Amino acid sequence: MVKMRLRRMGQKKAPFYRIVVSDSRSPRDGRFIEEIGTYDPNTDPSSIKFNEEAAKKWLANGAQPTETVAKLLKAAGIQ
Amino acid sequence: MRCKEKTLDTACLFLYDSTGDEIMEKIVQQGLLYDFYGELLTEHQRHIYEDVVMNDLSLSEIAQDQGISRQGVHDLIRRCDRILAGYEEKLHLVEKFASTKRLAAEIQNALDDYEIRKDPELLSRARRAAGQIAQIESR
Repeated sequence: MVKMRLRRMGQKKAPFYRIVVSDSRSPRDGRFIEEIGTYDPNTDPSSIKFNEEAAKKWLANGAQPTETVAKLLKAAGIQ
Repeated sequence: MRCKEKTLDTACLFLYDSTGDEIMEKIVQQGLLYDFYGELLTEHQRHIYEDVVMNDLSLSEIAQDQGISRQGVHDLIRRCDRILAGYEEKLHLVEKFASTKRLAAEIQNALDDYEIRKDPELLSRARRAAGQIAQIESR
């Protein structure tokens, strides 16, 4: 199964996330199929960026967003 | 930036503004607590907590991966949340970090503004913020 999930990047104490599409069987090895967005909670309000076309394409192909990514998709008005 | 009331789950101030959504605030907050106090967890706890806060894995994915029950993972995460929140309650490192960062940004902004507007009030503002930073560490 293909999942859409957050991946925390960057340095300690400076939270920043990529939103990636990856195979559910390789969640931890850092590999991902495609980066479809970013989430930066440091700004006020937090910034959510999506490659809308890619996100929609993956959703249409049955990619499962995690609870957090589902929230971001909703906040961005994609789903 | 906005602070929220304490909740039982994380028992800690939410220091970062987010989508205004608790789930997002929670994962960011857990990540921060992990940055500061994660090394105080056991290796097993760290491994699993990291999967939740860094890799956004679901409880069932971790359960499958570790060969333990979903409930077991849930309990472990809750316990880690409580341990980390307990450290924050005693040490306030995340809170101090966030305050220092906010005040430093305030000084930066005041000085940047001052270069343009030459308003002496901006210098006082910068001084006040510097004074507050000094106080944070002497609390």
